Amino acid sequence: MKLLIVDDAPYVLKALSDSLSAHGHEVYGAVNGEEALKKFTDVNPDIVLMDVLMPKLDGVSATRRLIERDPKARIIVVTAVGKHGLEKECIDAGASGFIMKPFKIKDLLKIINSLDQHERN
Amino acid sequence: MKGIEFVREYQEDIIESIPSTIIVLDRSLKILYANRNYYAKSGKKERDVVGERLERVFLPMLIEKTHIDEKIRQVFETGIPFNGDQLRYPGGLFFFYKIHPLKEVNMSIRKVVLLMEDITELTRLEEELRDSYVTLENAYAELKEEDEAKSDFISTASHELRTPLTVINSYLEMFEEGMLGELSGNQNEKLAIIRTQTDHMIKLVEDMLDTLRLESRKFKIQKLPLKLDEIAKSAVDEVSRLADLKEHTISLKVNGELPKIRGDRQRIKQVFGNLLTNAIKYTPDAGKINVELANENGHLLVSITDNGIGIKESEQEKIFEKFYTVSGKSLTRESERMGLGLTIAKGIVEAHGGKIWVKSSLNWGSTFYFTLPKGD
Repeated sequence: MKLLIVDDAPYVLKALSDSLSAHGHEVYGAVNGEEALKKFTDVNPDIVLMDVLMPKLDGVSATRRLIERDPKARIIVVTAVGKHGLEKECIDAGASGFIMKPFKIKDLLKIINSLDQHERN
Repeated sequence: MKGIEFVREYQEDIIESIPSTIIVLDRSLKILYANRNYYAKSGKKERDVVGERLERVFLPMLIEKTHIDEKIRQVFETGIPFNGDQLRYPGGLFFFYKIHPLKEVNMSIRKVVLLMEDITELTRLEEELRDSYVTLENAYAELKEEDEAKSDFISTASHELRTPLTVINSYLEMFEEGMLGELSGNQNEKLAIIRTQTDHMIKLVEDMLDTLRLESRKFKIQKLPLKLDEIAKSAVDEVSRLADLKEHTISLKVNGELPKIRGDRQRIKQVFGNLLTNAIKYTPDAGKINVELANENGHLLVSITDNGIGIKESEQEKIFEKFYTVSGKSLTRESERMGLGLTIAKGIVEAHGGKIWVKSSLNWGSTFYFTLPKGD
């Protein structure tokens, strides 16, 4: 699957890219919400993995903008922020999934696969 | 015979000894009588009071301020008692007064009684109380501010720790899954240590956030019908590897048929997990840990018993506090874990409307109990 990973922490971006490509996915990266919007058009990914706290454009706003642009865009929010109510805020913004860092890669893959399954059905 | 008949002949004594001021006035506001208390309070002599008009006996300023004369006239006119107001004397004295009409046989009113109570001390206490309240409120606001700063710090620290942990955990998983090449036995052994320590750190970060949520009352739990024995079994299964390392045996006993409870599966499992992990940790190798579930009046009772080192009586209350770890010479090496597990367990149980407590004797072991209300 084509995945776009959006995260401002370079090592998170690298680690997730390494791990997900080792699991057979085609991976692209962006370091903030603004770049994510640009890459989304260029790459046309199946799923976007979106961090929340980022410079320029935060993940929740970027999610909202992506959904405005493409209502079918599938976005999984991947965040280290443990703020109460954040998950609901992300889902309200149009995200299809939510996972807290750190996570087991198989849990993230499960969400990715369930979204893929959902698409096919 | 009515009770009042018994005291009729002592009326004078009673009125004279009463610790309040009693003054009787006629329609022209002339004072007909004042009891002993009035003379004691005012320092006046009876001859300067009886037969004199109120405005010549009371300070003019006082009458002007309170309009007590008008209030007395009103009671004469309407026959309705005046039920009280405060009166401030110069020198910081406070009185509470009432005016009561004295009805004649034909129901006409020729006299009223003015009752006055010295409330100086009461007013002073009230003011003191109000001052203390303000001081307390300020202190509370200050504490709350400090507490919020502390919460912000923990929240930020937890966030900052999650980012590097994500990176470490991702690569660790790739090593474990052989995605980064075959590892030697020695390398695998060391990798396993990194894994337990990383998991330990992840758990700490999660516990820190949970504690914060419990404190800020933002702690939300789901209330779904659940089978407690299933949760207990899966919690026991999850710690079995840890128990095996110390050669403990864990048994689970379910007493009879249990009704369902309403609660949050993940959170209740966390309570079992935290209590079981403690039992495993604080019991010397080859110990026995028994988990028992029972149906009691109105709730389900869970008990987790170990034959470990036990907890001193003086420490039994404190163990549910944040960052408290049972201390003991033999434990210094094992008690590395920050004491958040029990604080969280307590928070979760209480959020479900249950209770948690411990019975323990030093060197013999501990039993942790908690209750969860039955579902509908």
